[in-house]
Amino acid sequence: MKEILLMTHVMLGVLSILASLWVFVDALNASEVNLARIRLLSRFVPVVMTVGFLIAGYWYVNLYPADKAIILKGPWPFAHDFFMETKEHLVLMLLLLTAYLPIVASADLVLNRNARKLTLCVSALIVLTGLVMEGEGGVISMGVRMGLLAH
Amino acid sequence: MENSRFSNNATAFGISLVVASIANALLVAAKEKSPKVLAFMKGLTGHHWITHCTVIVLLFVIFGWVLSRANGGKGIHVTPATLIGTIVGGVILSAIVIVGFYLIVG
Repeated sequence: MKEILLMTHVMLGVLSILASLWVFVDALNASEVNLARIRLLSRFVPVVMTVGFLIAGYWYVNLYPADKAIILKGPWPFAHDFFMETKEHLVLMLLLLTAYLPIVASADLVLNRNARKLTLCVSALIVLTGLVMEGEGGVISMGVRMGLLAH
Repeated sequence: MENSRFSNNATAFGISLVVASIANALLVAAKEKSPKVLAFMKGLTGHHWITHCTVIVLLFVIFGWVLSRANGGKGIHVTPATLIGTIVGGVILSAIVIVGFYLIVG
């Protein structure tokens, strides 16, 4: 069950990255044709992100301590000391960025050049931060594996 | 006809996003350097990270709401370039502070 929870939060993270990337590309080519889709996707991103965040939060508080002990005893303690510690705090900024995206994207991105620019910036920041989160998660998982292999 | 202004909410919550991001970074440093702060945060909800998230999310929501109602409901006036630069710069700076803290101090 805990592995399913873990993988679900990863998949939801990837989904929110892909949806933000879609918003970015659509905003670059904003027109009357894709405005509704941009707005829909910009609302989809925070929903997916919030569900993933809550699942990850539950896992972090209740299930991660066992993995943390393995990591800290193994050859890759930095997987927790640096990668998990930064991830658990950077993800908050990601959550806020996704919450902000629909607020910005609700403007008329065809006529409002500045709103389009801001939508591009926010969606790009979501994609980049999301990719960092995915990478850090990979290192943390590897830290558990390295810890198990060492014992 | 082109309209380049931001909505009231876009400006208010954009500023709130920056403030919350910076507060997030500062709270990381405070709780990691002060066992009393860490213990207090843990005591509030049972886990320091839950308290941390709750504080930052509430800060974002409440501060954004307050700013959107400033000036008799007219909101805060910030030029588009300033808002975009502040948001991008603020988020990146906050991330650098968090990463830098754990690289150097943590």
